[in-house]
Parts: sequence; structure tokens; C-alpha cells
Amino acid sequence: MVERATPLGADFKPGSYGDFADGIGITLSAPPSGTIVEATAWPGRERALAARVGKVVGLSLEAGAGAGAFKETGAAAFNIGPGRFLVSGRNEVLADRLIGAVPEETGTLTDLSHGRTRLRVEGARAEWVLAKLFALDFSSAAFPVTEGRATAHHDYFVQIQRTGDQRFELYVFRSFARAFVSVLRRAAEDVGYRIE
Amino acid sequence: MSPRRSASGGSIDRLRTIRFTFDGEAYAGHAGDTLASALLANGVRLVGRSFKYHRPRGVFTAGIDEPNALVTILRDNVREPNIPATRIEIYDGLRAESQNRFPSLAFDLGAVNRLGGRMLGAGFYYKTFMGPAVGPLRSTRFWMFCERFIRRAAGLGRADHAPDPSRYERMNAFCDVLVVGGGISGLMAAEAAARAGKRVILAEQEPETGGFALWSGETIAGKPAADWARTMTEKLAALDNVRILPRTTVWGHYDGNTLAALERIGDHLPKTPKGHPRHRHWTIRAGAVVLATGALERPIAFPGNDRPGVMLAGAVRRYAGEFGVLCGDRTVFFTNNDSAYQAASALKRAGGHVAAIVDVRRTISEAAAALAAEAGVVPLTGQAIVETRGGRQVTGIVVQPFDAATGALSGDARPVECDCLAVSGGFQPVIHLASQAGAKAEWDETMQAFLPPAPGQHWRGAGSFLGDMTTAGALETGRDAGLWASGKKPSRAKLPETGAPPIDIAPAPVFEIRGKGKAFVDLQHDVTADDVRLAHREGFVSVEHLKRYTTLGMATDQGKTSNVPGLAIMAEARGISIPEAGTTRFRPPYAPVSIGALAAERYGDLKPDRLTPMHDWHVEHGARMMEAGLWHRPMIYGAPGETVEQAYIREAGAVRRSVGIVDVSTLGKIAVKGPDAAEFLDRVYTNMFSTLPVGRARYGLMLREDGIAFDDGTTWRLGENDFLMTTTTANAGPVMQHLEYVLDVVWPDLRVHLTSVTDQWASAAIAGPDARKVLEKCVAGTMVDNEALPFMGIVRGTVEGAPVMICRLSFSGELAYEVYCGAGHGLHIWEALMDAGEPFGITPYGMEALGTLRIEKGHVTGAEIDGRTTARDLYLDWMLSKKKPFIGSGLMDRPGLIDRNRIRLVGVISLDGQPLGGGAHIVEGGSLDDLGQSIGHITAFCYSPALAKYIGLALVKGGKARHGTRAFVSDPLRKRFGPVELVSHHFFDPDGRRMHG
Amino acid sequence: MLISCPHCGPRDLAEFSYQGDATRTRPDPASTDTQAWHDYVYARPNPAGPHREFWQHAGGCRAHLLVVRDTLTHEIHSTALARPSRAGGETA
Repeated sequence: MVERATPLGADFKPGSYGDFADGIGITLSAPPSGTIVEATAWPGRERALAARVGKVVGLSLEAGAGAGAFKETGAAAFNIGPGRFLVSGRNEVLADRLIGAVPEETGTLTDLSHGRTRLRVEGARAEWVLAKLFALDFSSAAFPVTEGRATAHHDYFVQIQRTGDQRFELYVFRSFARAFVSVLRRAAEDVGYRIE
Repeated sequence: MSPRRSASGGSIDRLRTIRFTFDGEAYAGHAGDTLASALLANGVRLVGRSFKYHRPRGVFTAGIDEPNALVTILRDNVREPNIPATRIEIYDGLRAESQNRFPSLAFDLGAVNRLGGRMLGAGFYYKTFMGPAVGPLRSTRFWMFCERFIRRAAGLGRADHAPDPSRYERMNAFCDVLVVGGGISGLMAAEAAARAGKRVILAEQEPETGGFALWSGETIAGKPAADWARTMTEKLAALDNVRILPRTTVWGHYDGNTLAALERIGDHLPKTPKGHPRHRHWTIRAGAVVLATGALERPIAFPGNDRPGVMLAGAVRRYAGEFGVLCGDRTVFFTNNDSAYQAASALKRAGGHVAAIVDVRRTISEAAAALAAEAGVVPLTGQAIVETRGGRQVTGIVVQPFDAATGALSGDARPVECDCLAVSGGFQPVIHLASQAGAKAEWDETMQAFLPPAPGQHWRGAGSFLGDMTTAGALETGRDAGLWASGKKPSRAKLPETGAPPIDIAPAPVFEIRGKGKAFVDLQHDVTADDVRLAHREGFVSVEHLKRYTTLGMATDQGKTSNVPGLAIMAEARGISIPEAGTTRFRPPYAPVSIGALAAERYGDLKPDRLTPMHDWHVEHGARMMEAGLWHRPMIYGAPGETVEQAYIREAGAVRRSVGIVDVSTLGKIAVKGPDAAEFLDRVYTNMFSTLPVGRARYGLMLREDGIAFDDGTTWRLGENDFLMTTTTANAGPVMQHLEYVLDVVWPDLRVHLTSVTDQWASAAIAGPDARKVLEKCVAGTMVDNEALPFMGIVRGTVEGAPVMICRLSFSGELAYEVYCGAGHGLHIWEALMDAGEPFGITPYGMEALGTLRIEKGHVTGAEIDGRTTARDLYLDWMLSKKKPFIGSGLMDRPGLIDRNRIRLVGVISLDGQPLGGGAHIVEGGSLDDLGQSIGHITAFCYSPALAKYIGLALVKGGKARHGTRAFVSDPLRKRFGPVELVSHHFFDPDGRRMHG
Repeated sequence: MLISCPHCGPRDLAEFSYQGDATRTRPDPASTDTQAWHDYVYARPNPAGPHREFWQHAGGCRAHLLVVRDTLTHEIHSTALARPSRAGGETA
């Protein structure tokens, strides 16, 4: 296996940044993308697709708008559009297994393991920092843990899953990832942040 | 302790001294002071010169409505002009300057404009600078000629050219209840909503919540109102569901209960903390809105009403109550309502001396008379001020008997000495945000003010916004509005007791005292009552015309003190009532907003940098990058000492001679999957894709519905129902959107899924006679010979352990392949190809060489598919299938689109050995001085190493019919004129032997 | 302004792209009636009042919506997914 290069560049290096004198507001990390697959069901087959995809990654996945599930071991899936899910896992070969598991009459799958970059934003000020970029209500009541949202910040399309009270996983287009991280870092400077 | 500072009282911290400068002079104030209060405490009266006439001006108000005391703040080597001194919290080291004066504030040369006062009246610019009808300075040219001189004489502060080093940011917020205004009613509303468990945002434009309570001197619930407000604020601040935003002005009320606010974070600090913004722009989406925005006092227009020392009565009261500042040693009050009596009594309590109260009304209420007695004066009723005396500050006034019903002055005028004149002409609720939400204000005869209309579906008003100026009213309406916003019924619970005299602030309908001398309506734009009447005489009678003709209310204060008086004077001139004269609808912003806050993170080039997986390699290897949409692409890989032209000629030459490599990862890529994918492609492309075998690619062309060419690219059939479409770099987004549209809207029955995979794949094109040899050296798992990989064939294999997909297609006209791999392997594959190509002298090439190669081949790109050309214009007729309809087939045969004399694609050869220019016209004759009629234009040009000539592509009338003819390239802008030959656009290897070889 | 996406819920206007008049009917693909094509591509009623139009939630779920919007007040009367097979009924 050839190791995949990160798009984030040399500036993305561990350390504490911004105004962290009073503590670290968020921690920013880029877990390895592993497998990222977009799975789309034909109309009426949404539940079947969710079930099949969920089975492969070991999640109980609902088909509704924004619904999602994840495991601390790395598998995650959430709805990003009508009949459309973003499914991810740590294992790079998961993509082939997923694609093999969904028959053509249920839907289609497209491997995006290289095409999306996963970023993790975690910490007490995660909602604050993300609210600078996205016109989304990040409160737990409006955006509960496990759910996902497809949204945008100017030219950046971003899909977000909440995986903890103070933790969000962001999926951005790879070619935008470096620029997006610089935007995110700038937004986090007032609360202080750490890169891990 | 300064002479004008009371010994105690107010919210300032007398133990903390803060030092600042104004016009270079050092002053001291206290923590809690504004620049205005600190200057007044220091006895500084003259703070600015007026807009047109350079008249001396002083602090007029105590808040956001300030028209006069605009200053420039010097900070971090940046000048920020036109900031009201009433809105500046002083900090150690603050540097402020007065404006619109030369050489100094006290001695101002521009003040000669005052002598020409008549000339600079309303409509002055329009009348004087319309300019002659003919000649070099005709119409607006004359204005432009004169403008530069006028701009120096009339105006406000001078902006800076230096970049603003401050940072700004934007924030999105959601809440159940937004309370705008943290005064008494706002605090009550926020508390009621917070108790109901709602998510509450309370925005207050001042540094501290409390509003009127902070300086009223009244009591609430048995304690000083200011203490009550502070206790309320502390209680609210401790709640998880309440966010209090001080120094935050809500300035826009938009559709869907979206409100815009500006939070000033760093302006009051000597230094903004690291990483924190100076201003934060809030976009607040609220379930319900409580408008507790208060009311603003308005002045009365009378001769000399702009002299420093003339202020609003409420401001004099606030300076005494909140800042412990006595605005004068002898203060005269002038009023048409009872509120001035409260102000006078408050001033007296704070240690000031009230010289007189002049009231236009003949009789006053008992409460007012009692307050006058407290202030130690007998009010001069039925009188008006007809003149102010003094130079750079008021030293006295002249009073004359006045009939409020007729506006007539009679009897003897007599002078009264004073050094401060406090004026109250009534109150106007701040209805801006309600008006912005679409509500039309209603004139209230009693209050002589525009009151907010019935509330909207999503907002309620509270407090003096409703026209009730009492503390008791604010407590009640605030709580009710908070309960309403929480979906609750009004409460009957007892409200806190208040201690305030029962006065009536309904004013007599007097807006102007007509006498000799300028009576200002709009202090900031120097618009007088006579200007309003002049506008009327000249026919500018509607409110909108009045505003534009006189510029009344169009200054940075947006007429907060002048709109209603101006309207009243116009109504009187027209002999109609004020509501008949109308009111203007308020538009955002309510108060000035820093441009930086609106731009926030969008500064610099405004665009994100989109980078390919090989980006860093390009930069490390000397590439000069260029922008292509959001993408960064190598333009050339410059060797030391090379010009751009030398570099691309070298790079393109290497491709023709041996082999070159170019990063084409930026091409748009869309996965098209599903049982109807082939059918779908047949409908969106002009040519057939259902017949394409698996493992093959085909060049495709898309039209728009109107028959104009839209985009081109190759689409690869990876499986029966699995296609990989490529688009041009620039059109990736629009093509995706177009395809999504037709699937959602036009053919919802087709079972096709689209996914953008542009970022999934890295791709490198290797081109040149040695391209195959390079692949042979590094590709495993597949053969790449002509049989295994024919033209437009696709194979899969690996390169150095990473999976690749290779398609043999050519943009350069050479034997060429596009090698696709996962983006994360892009650099790995690129370096492997470079290694494999090393024996053949593989040369990385950039956009310039890519362009050169395609021009030599006559391949079209976005320069030719420019949104105006048809397939036929580009000689792509062969791609228009006759066997099936497709998008655009319905309209592409319209007569205007098939006319052979349209501008169509040709090749151009420079005959004088000089370069052509992109966008240059093609003409049939003439010269640089005598431009001929254009018959078309150059779309792309280069030096062709293959032809050893400057060549180009052009769209020229008649196209092919002109092959072999001569014309001229004409580019007056770049002083280029020269002979060209029009030829076939297939300059090089027209039969395509090289790429098929 | 907020648009209520039937899939994602209320979202900021910035996430949406206007995608044109929704009152048109596309002629049969094989039609050679130029007038019908012309009307489909160019003819627009431009009403002052409620108007049916397509919007794409481009910065979100990517679905096209059928939106009834008042061109005078900007009030949005209803939104629904444009693709009928996905529609779950119009939302108020």
C-alpha cells in the first residue's frame, strides 16, 4: 500500500496557536481519511441502502434527513441529502467491500477516500468557532450528536457530523482542504487552539 | 478634578485617570468616560467644523444620534474618520483629531465659506455644476472638474489609504428571542424570556446595559435605577440561556427574522487582544424579536442653534447623571415639553446652575412647575429663543414672546447670559428596525412623533420605542413583550415600584422658531430650515426629493435628530399635515457599520486557493503559478534567466520532440452512475455515448438549451452503467449544476446518480513521441502498446505500487496519455513518471505551453466556447448527432445561429513577426489612427515553436471562407497594428498522424 | 432570508442558487416547434406576487426545490423537493 499524502501542507504542524493564554478553545486534527464513500439510494430504496451500508461498517443507520451513526472505533455514516449518505471507516479497503455490498437496484456508491479530507474540531469552543463559518445552529438541541449536515462557507462545501457534545467531524473537498484549514485556524485564534 | 466634574455620582470611576489627546493636546478623563464626556469635563466646547460652512460646532448629544462631534481616531497608523465622540470610550493613549478644518480647529480658513452661505444653499451642486450643454466641460464633466476643489472645502474627515491592520469576523447566531436594546424594557423582556427557558440574546449598543436607568436618577424597586439595572444584568449574565452583547448595535432587520448586528470588541481597549477581532458582525436568526430601541430627543430649529454649547436637554441630563459632567456653569433650557424640566432639576441636583427655562407653551403642568422650582427658576413660558450669541461657544441667548399656535414672535426681545443651552423639541421613537421589517410608521398627534405601527408577526416593541417615556411603562411593556416572545400570556404579577414625577412629555407642535439667521435642521449636513423652504419653492416637495435636493438626513447620522423637524417644516411650507407630507422608509444600516466587519474573513484576493495534489512539487520546481478560477496552476516552470516566452517555447518544444508532463488534476470530473447513465449522456451531449464500449473514452460536446455551445470534455465508460465525465476546469461547477437540474427537474425518471469526483483523482498528462516509452518503464499490471491501449482506450494498472487508470487521449496532438490515480497518490505517481521519463528528458510544462500546443492543433477551450459561439461556429458540426434529440437541438438550427457569416473559428498567422494579442480585433484595412470595421477578434495566441511563427486562433466573420485571405490585427490599446493571414485553425499535423501513431 | 429546505430545514439564503422559472414546460425532446422551444427558454411572465421558481440547495443537500415566493414581499409561501419521486408533499 502506498501511503496517501495529506493535502494540508507543512504549516499544519502540532502546537498551540492563537490566544491560548486562558486555555485551549479547540483542538484541530486531521485523522487519516481511511475510506470515505458516498452512497446514494434510488427513490424508495433509502432504508435498504442504509441497512446494507450500516451492516458493512457495523452501524445501525437510519435513512432520515440528517440521520447518522458512528462508533468510536472509526466507522461513521450520516445522511447528506435525499437518499444520500457519507460513509467512512478507518480501513482503506472498506470502499471495495461497501461497493460490493450494495446491489445496483438499491443504489450506487462512489469512492471519495482521496477526494474528501476529514478534519476534527473538538473542544469547549467548537460551536463558537464553527458558528463563525457556517449559518447553522450548532446547539446540541438543534444539532444532536450522531447527526450530519451538508452546508457551505462561501466556496467551501463541507459536510459535518457531530460525534460528541463538543466534537465535530468535517469533510471537505481535498483541493480546498489547505485553504479551509487556514480559514478555520483564523477563526479559532480568539479562543486559542491546538493542532494534534 | 476638573471644574466641570461633579464631586460624586455617575458611573465613572473617579479613582482611575485615563490620558488621551485631542488635536495633539493632552487631556485626562476617567474610566467610564466617552471622548465627548471627557472633553466636556475639560471644558472643551469646540470639537469640529461643520460640513459646508465650517461653522464651529460642539458636542450636541450624548449618544448614537450625535451629528456634530465627529472626530478622526488615529490608531495603529490608521486614520478612522467620522466617529462620533459620544460613541468613543476613552482609553490610555487614545488619539483623536477634529475634522474639516485647516490649518487648525480654532482658526479655520474654510470658515470663509460662511460668507458665501447663500451660495452654498440647497441644490447648490445641482445648479452650479450642471455645466454647459456643449464643449469640453459639458454636463457632468464640469462637475468632475469642480468636484476636487469642492471636496476639499466641504466634507467630513479624511479617510486613509493605508491598509487596515485590524481583524474582523462574522458570527452566526440562533436564538428564540432577540432583545434589541438593553434599557429598562429590554432588561425586563430578556428576563421574562429567560425565565420561560428561551434562548435569549440581548444586544445593547452602549458599553453597559441599563439605558435611561443609568442616568435618570430615579428609583426602581426602592433602589437607585442604575443599581437595579446592574443587578438585573448580573442576574441575566449568570444564566446559561442568555447571551448579553454589549457594544452591539443591531443595524439591520431582514426577511425571515434575520438581523444584523455589529459588536465593537476592541475599540475601547488600548490594544485588541491577540487573535481577537476589532469588530464582530453578527447575523442573528431569531424566533421572535423584541424591539426595545428607545427614543431619541429632537431639537428645535432656531437661529444660531448650532453654536457650541447648544445641546439636547436629555444629553445635558445624561452627562450630569452618568458621567458627573456639568455641561455649563449657567445653563438655559429651551423646550416645548415637560422633559426639559426633569433635566433641569437633575442638573441642579448634580450641582449645576440653571439660569432659565424657556418654554414655548403658555401654560405648563403642575409637575413641571414643581420641577422648575426644584431647579430654582421660574420658567419663561410663552417665549422662544430667537438668537444665540457668542463666537466659538454660546455666551448668551435672546428671548422673545412667542405664540406657539401661530409661530408669531412679538414684543421685546431680551438677552439672557448662559454658557450652555439645553434644548428639547420632543421625542421620536427609534422605529428604524420596525420600518426595515416593512412596517409603516403612524403619526401620533399627541406625541408629535411617528410611532411604530401594529407589531409584525415576529416582533413586538417595548419601552419608549412605543412612545411611552416613563420608567413604569418600560417595566410593564418590557415584561409583556418578553412574555409574548416566549409564547406566554401577559402577567399580572406586581411590577417593581418606581419613583418618578408624573410628567407629560407630549410636546407642543413647535419645530422651528423663525427669526434672522441660520436655523439648522440637519447639523451634520448643514441643512437649514430655509433650505427646506427653498426646496419647496423649487418644487422638490416629496420627502424623497427633499432629501436628495438638500441632502437632509443623508449624513452619517442618517438624520436621527433632523428627519422629523425637516419633515415638519416642509409640511408647514406646503400647508399640509406632517403625515400627509410622509415619512421616509428606513433602510439598513441603522448606524454606520465598518466595511471590515462586513468583509470579515473575506479579504485579500477573496478566493480560496484550490490546490492540486502536486502543487508543492510545482512550486519547489520553479513553477510560476497562475490562477485558473480558484485553482492554482503552473504557468511555466522557469529556468534561471528565462522569460515566460522562452520557457513555454522550450516546454512545448520538448513535447513535440520527446516528452512532457502536465498536471491536469484541475479538470472537472463527475461520476455518472446508474442504469440510465448512457441514455442520460445521450441527452445532455450532442453526440452519442450509449454506443461507447466499456473501457473507451469519447470526446463530447454539450450545448445549452438555447443552442449555444456550453462545455466539452472526454467521458470515459468505466462500466456498463459507470461513466467518468470530465469537464473543462472552469466549467466543472456549472456543468454539475446543469446536470443536477435536468435530473431533478426535466427527467426525474432517469435513474442516474452524479457525484463530483474532481478531488478524488489526481491526473497527469504525458505527451510526446516518447510518452509510451515512459509508461512502459513504470506501469505494471497492464500493457500500454497500441493494441492494449489504442487511441481513446482505457487501461488499469499500477505505478510504483499505486493503482492508476490510464486513458490515451491527446490535447496536444502528440501521442499522449492521461494517468489518473487517487489524489493522495498524486505526488507519488508524478514523481514516478518523472523518474521514468528522465532518460527521455521528460519536461514538466505549464499552462502557457499547454495553450501553445492546443493552439497549434486548433483545439477549442473556454476562450472559444465563450457563451456566444455555436458548435458550427467552431466547426464541431460533426458532433451534432442527427439520430437523437439532445439539449440544445431544439433551438440550435435557428436562422441566426446557422448564418454562415457569423464569427467562426479560424487560424491567424502574424505576417510581421510580431506577437498577436488576446482580444485584439481583426480588421480588413485601416491603421492605428483610422480603425477599420472589426470582422472578429483573437481568442488565443502564442509563438508556435512547431511553425516558428506567431500564431493565434480567432473568431472571424465567415470563418473558413476567409482562409488564405489577408487582414490586419488591430489593438489600439496596446498600440498594435499589423498584417495577418487567416488560415485553417488546424495549424499542425492536421491529419492527426502523431497522436494516432 | 431563510429558505426552508424540505430535506435540511431552514437554511440561509447564501446556501441556495436560483435556478429559474418553474412555470415552464419543456417541449417534447424531439419537437421541432421552434416557437415552443423559444417560449420555454425565453418567455417569462415576471409576475408581481407569488411566483413558482426553482432553487437549488447548492451549499447543502444539492436538491432542487420548487419554491413559491412572493416577488413583492420575498415571503416564501411553500417549498417542496422539485423531483416528484422524492417529494414528501409541500411544506408550509
